[in-house]
Amino acid sequence: MSSFVINRRHFLGASAGVVGLSMFGGAARAAETDIRMVWWGSEERANRTNAAIEAFEQAFANVAVEGEYMGWGDYWPRLATQIAGGNAPDLIQMDYRYVFEYARRGALLPLDSYLGNELKIEDFGTANLESCSVDGKLYGANVGVNAIGLILDPSAWENAGVEPPTYGTTWEDYIEKCLAFAKGNDRKRFYASVDGSGKEALFEGWLRGRGKSLYSEDGKLGYDAKDAADWFAMWVEMRKGGGCVPPDIQALDKESVENSPLILGYCATDSITSNKFVAFQKLSKVPLGLTAQPVVKDGNPSSYLKPSQMFSVYAKSKAPEAAVELANFLVRDPRGALILGMERGVPASPAIRDALMPDLDEASRKVVDFISKLTPYVGPLPPAPPQGAGEVYNVFMRVSQEVAFEASSPEKGGESLVKEANSVLQRG
Amino acid sequence: MNITRHVTASVVAGGPPRPAGGRQGAFFRNLPGYLFLSPWLIGFLCLTLGPALVSLYLSFTDYDLLQSPHFVGAANYVRMMTEDPKFSAAMRVTFLFVALSVPLKLIFALAVAMALNRGLKGLTFYRAIFYLPSLLGSSVAIAVLWRQLFAADGLINSILGVFGIEGPSWISNPNYSLYTLVVLSVWQFGSPMIIFLAGLRQIPTDMYEAASLDGASAVRQFFRITLPLLSPVIFFNLVIQTIEAFKAFTPAFIVSGGTGGPINSTLFYTLYLYQEAFGYFRMGYASALAWVLVVIIAAFTALSFLSTRYWVHYDD
Repeated sequence: MSSFVINRRHFLGASAGVVGLSMFGGAARAAETDIRMVWWGSEERANRTNAAIEAFEQAFANVAVEGEYMGWGDYWPRLATQIAGGNAPDLIQMDYRYVFEYARRGALLPLDSYLGNELKIEDFGTANLESCSVDGKLYGANVGVNAIGLILDPSAWENAGVEPPTYGTTWEDYIEKCLAFAKGNDRKRFYASVDGSGKEALFEGWLRGRGKSLYSEDGKLGYDAKDAADWFAMWVEMRKGGGCVPPDIQALDKESVENSPLILGYCATDSITSNKFVAFQKLSKVPLGLTAQPVVKDGNPSSYLKPSQMFSVYAKSKAPEAAVELANFLVRDPRGALILGMERGVPASPAIRDALMPDLDEASRKVVDFISKLTPYVGPLPPAPPQGAGEVYNVFMRVSQEVAFEASSPEKGGESLVKEANSVLQRG
Repeated sequence: MNITRHVTASVVAGGPPRPAGGRQGAFFRNLPGYLFLSPWLIGFLCLTLGPALVSLYLSFTDYDLLQSPHFVGAANYVRMMTEDPKFSAAMRVTFLFVALSVPLKLIFALAVAMALNRGLKGLTFYRAIFYLPSLLGSSVAIAVLWRQLFAADGLINSILGVFGIEGPSWISNPNYSLYTLVVLSVWQFGSPMIIFLAGLRQIPTDMYEAASLDGASAVRQFFRITLPLLSPVIFFNLVIQTIEAFKAFTPAFIVSGGTGGPINSTLFYTLYLYQEAFGYFRMGYASALAWVLVVIIAAFTALSFLSTRYWVHYDD
């Protein structure tokens, strides 16, 4: 497993050793408290985060921070192993998907007692604080607000002679548009839409529109076999009419920017979490657009705002105050938060957002614009995913592929999904 | 797997002729030997044997990495055998992969080795070229390259396109995805090829000359001279390659993005084990899976050894 270890103190130690001072190398900075921080992400993120850490060390001379970063795939096995070994970093970049698993297993520190003291994030608002809470306790400082949306190539839609979907477009309209696109389009192996049948986020939005949810408050499945069958049937219609990419192309999609069918040039529309928009735009030659996911006609709001990620404190941290100070510095203190910028999502603090606005590039502006325009379409946060939700997601994806490759019918798919998901949830 | 190899190695290393004298004297006489051995010995005890024993214990527990394990008896093994459809799916995929890739790879390696053994000029150059894929073999880069080759607009389909065939996206189609991984494995025929080549050069040429004089055809020479005399080498390659194939992980992990998809078509056993361990935090269950794999590989290796007296010919 590859990981990039940024350890300036060791580096200093090494260079000091070269000039014969190796004994004193480790003490290059006289700090009373040492803390470690870990995150996943790109080179760009690392540069920003390291710069912000440096600013923190200047502001808090008694704390030294050792930063470490790696890719998403390596991150979770490593973090889980470190926590098992009792030596996890003090400040941990946490994902919304995993915070429940880690918080409920007692690996994270509740931050409520720091709120208003070291952690001055009250201006994030109730929704953003709740989205980082598990069972009523705060476990993280929101690093960026995120929402599911459609990312699209407006020029491709224009070439096909169809108005692209926009805020408030219903699923019926969306399918109609995609089928019309298929008729107007003349590019080979090119389709209007991604095959969203295996995209849990879209499924969730669609369920919310129908007054259902992925999971209920008590951790059970929030939908039944009929809902799932309807969802799969809708995509069968889409696939048959050539409105979305065929299943073997969809199966190339690994939920990463480089493998998106939109980026690979197979389709004109994909669904993403909004913080990925900037990365998509960087890989695309044409200017891309960002809009809301389709809604259910006369239904409940599909969208909700969730944290792209949060900074959480390790439960066994020896210096929790310093870790909380660092978290606060990165998300709420302009000296740190402005360095991180929009790279992790739209800042939850209105003050930081306002301070950032003047210097934003076009793509980042589109994301801020999207989050503000989405507000009328936003509903309450869904219930917390129960233990086993990650495995249910894999079941959902497999069943969607079985229907897509015609190894199963929508009805049978809906039944087997609900049956298997229930047995996973029972096992926990 | 590794363990068995290490154990045999240590048995061999620990068995020099016992010198005369007291027990203690022998110990001090052997001390330098143990000291020279110690880097390996410490590594083996702490990094291989220790963790292996711990994982054996964990396989009888429910352990989620974050909380301490608690003992559940044989529940993990029972679950595997009775109510885990993914376990049988992973078994099917893995056995199919082993059954296809190992023989194909050995045949291919032998064919190339025989072609190279005809006394051609620049043998070392060709040998290096053919060995290259094996060096890159299990790397992430190659798996990524494979995705590009066999994707919908990949090189393979571009070539097919010349003949007017519009191929599917091989790597992400459940009907073909496993076979692309078999091809990837066969392509890495380098190390068995090198060993075959060495084996072929051991066969005395006068045998072939005598056979030619007696009028034996090339095919007959192959079956009557080459294969029997090469059988110890074939046996060695068979065992090593079977073990390797059971342990294959990286290609499936990269090609399927860690899911084993589409529709579990590339769900290698090791990939399933990894998912259970690090995806779903079921270390106890994953440890049990690992030990079942150890038993399967050991059984296959033992079977191969038992079969040797029917088809492997040793010269002496």
